[in-house]
Amino acid sequence: MLLSDVATLLVNSFTWAMATFLVAAGLTLVFGTLHILNFSHGGFFMIGAYVAFSLASALGGSDSIAVYLFGALAAGVAIALLGLVVDRLVLRRLAGVEDAYVLIATYALLLVCEGATKLVWGLKYQSVMPPPSLDGAWALGSVVVPRLSLFIIAAGVAVYVALEVFLNRTRSGRLVKAIAADPWMARLLGVNVRLVYTATVAIGFALAGLAGGLLVANQTLSPTLASAFVIYAFGVIIVGGMGSISGAFFGSILLGLIDAIGQWLLPGLPGLPFFVAMTLILLLRPQGLMGHAQ
Amino acid sequence: MGHLHRRRVLQYGAAAASALALPGLTRAQGGPLKIGLITPLSGAQEFIGSYVRNGAEIAVAQLNNAGGILGRQVALEIRDDKANPAAALAAARELLGAGINLHIGGISSAVVLALAPVMQQEKGIFITCGAGTEKMNHEAYSPNLFRPGDSPDARGRAQARLMAEKYPNVTRWTGLIPDHEYGRTTWSIFVDGLLEFYPAIAKKKPEILDPVLMPYGVSDYRNAVTAALRQQADGCYNSTYGGDAITMFQQARGFGLMQRYKVICDSANEFLVARGLKQQLPAQWTGMHYYAAANKGNAMSDRFVADYLAKTKDPEPLGWAAEAHAAMYALAKAIEKGKSTDTAAVIGNLKGLTWDTVTGPRYMRPEDNQAVKDVELVFIEPANTEKGYAVSQYVKVDGKLVILPPAPGQKLKLRTA
Repeated sequence: MLLSDVATLLVNSFTWAMATFLVAAGLTLVFGTLHILNFSHGGFFMIGAYVAFSLASALGGSDSIAVYLFGALAAGVAIALLGLVVDRLVLRRLAGVEDAYVLIATYALLLVCEGATKLVWGLKYQSVMPPPSLDGAWALGSVVVPRLSLFIIAAGVAVYVALEVFLNRTRSGRLVKAIAADPWMARLLGVNVRLVYTATVAIGFALAGLAGGLLVANQTLSPTLASAFVIYAFGVIIVGGMGSISGAFFGSILLGLIDAIGQWLLPGLPGLPFFVAMTLILLLRPQGLMGHAQ
Repeated sequence: MGHLHRRRVLQYGAAAASALALPGLTRAQGGPLKIGLITPLSGAQEFIGSYVRNGAEIAVAQLNNAGGILGRQVALEIRDDKANPAAALAAARELLGAGINLHIGGISSAVVLALAPVMQQEKGIFITCGAGTEKMNHEAYSPNLFRPGDSPDARGRAQARLMAEKYPNVTRWTGLIPDHEYGRTTWSIFVDGLLEFYPAIAKKKPEILDPVLMPYGVSDYRNAVTAALRQQADGCYNSTYGGDAITMFQQARGFGLMQRYKVICDSANEFLVARGLKQQLPAQWTGMHYYAAANKGNAMSDRFVADYLAKTKDPEPLGWAAEAHAAMYALAKAIEKGKSTDTAAVIGNLKGLTWDTVTGPRYMRPEDNQAVKDVELVFIEPANTEKGYAVSQYVKVDGKLVILPPAPGQKLKLRTA
């Protein structure tokens, strides 16, 4: 293997990892705080992508990176507002109920997302062109690095750093962590736990919408978009440790590397190394890389 | 009055008892002729399944307006196969159990191959509206399974022949193929065509590189794209399809992969990818079951396009709709010919049938239940139009020149590099 091949493999695996982390971040944040495994997260990611697509279409296309980022942020805000509605109507009712009910309820929400997407945007495939500054590639010697790949990597790292700073360096973030650890004690100390839960849901959903907007030029838009990402998003949060932002971040990097190396060594078995690695990691460390043993 | 009332009750009771005792007889004698439509109505293939459904419903409306089949109105019993063999089998068993013996639909190779044994066992007929497996006419041949569209060998070999004619200097070929039955089949047949037609037409021996296998239904194709970059081929055959193809093309764009090829030949995306990618589309040849613009003047096609527009607001129906339409008309003609909806009679009359379709007359080869049909190929390019793409070339290849001889029960014999 040449050095240029190694570099390409690293860029590809980090692109996959950060795209998956962007989707997984909100999922693991909500699970870590509310202990609700939101199966519909991929559905809201998908709606975020469609919102960004509609904005780009209304503005005559993503001609500049500013318009592209505006679309992503607007998608984040729109999905955060949807999250507040979902919290009010569904998630609050799931507090303290058995996991099986939570899974069924959030799976039903996913179906609602898919149905709503079909009603609003139809069945046909759509796509968004990246803005000119993210189109094309930089050639570093014999290594071709697509600009969109670097943008996705940068976006993933930025979201990770922002979440880490928020959770560990701000009062609000520490409050979220405290409530995640012991909501009963937090309530006893006068913290408005309900309000923090609602804010966490809004942030988690905003992350789903933001991911949809940031990744809109990365893949086709169709009502099945949710399922294309969500399996891998669940994979990285399970491997990383459920509820851990760092776990999802490093889990996605690890699985991205394994998938890329696997594709290099076993081109006739695409996708297989990912699932084999996931199985092995969970056999060796059932709580995930950065999760806590029960 | 009371006496009469009691008599009436007895009459109704007797009639009801007869109906319960002889359900097959009552179904056979009255009511609409029910035909099963088993096609994806949810999941990844729902979009293509919607074309099948629309095409079948338009055919049924047209047949009913013309008096139905054997004087009976036709009604579709529609079931969702999710492009999944297990769901398709459940749907087929339900419909067969309800006494419905005639079925169309099935665009997934795996679905059609799974349905073959149950159709044979339960005495049903299934006509596929676009499945691409060659096995249904070869080692998995079933007399109860029919394909009214172009066979995969006719399609792939017609494409290879066109490449040899138009691009004689493009001799180093690779494939971007989905990692499943359809992908491997289409690539093998295309290679067979390259190996036959390049020496015969271009007087050159083609170099066939290992194809790059594409995972199915995933969000990232970059590793596969960089594997293709390393090959440095001149010609690329693509049989990834639908949303997967769009994602792959979007991600390949960043690497400039498609610009490296002198020609791209797409197996069967018709305008699915072009409509999704618009001006991002890399210029390419693609195979069509039916290209409406090229069939203008064919009265059946013109009416089909008008009815499709009225039903869906889409002025350009794609091939899967045309295949469902052709399947319904094949069934109608076979039933009218034998004046029977009985399975054995319909099979007998479908074999060797010549019938009119939106692409002109087609002939159902009796040996392997495969239609002989011209192959329609178009070259599409990005364009500054409302659609975002335009067709700049259209070629119709005589199906008889490229289809391989029938060999039911035998494995398809292909040249290998």
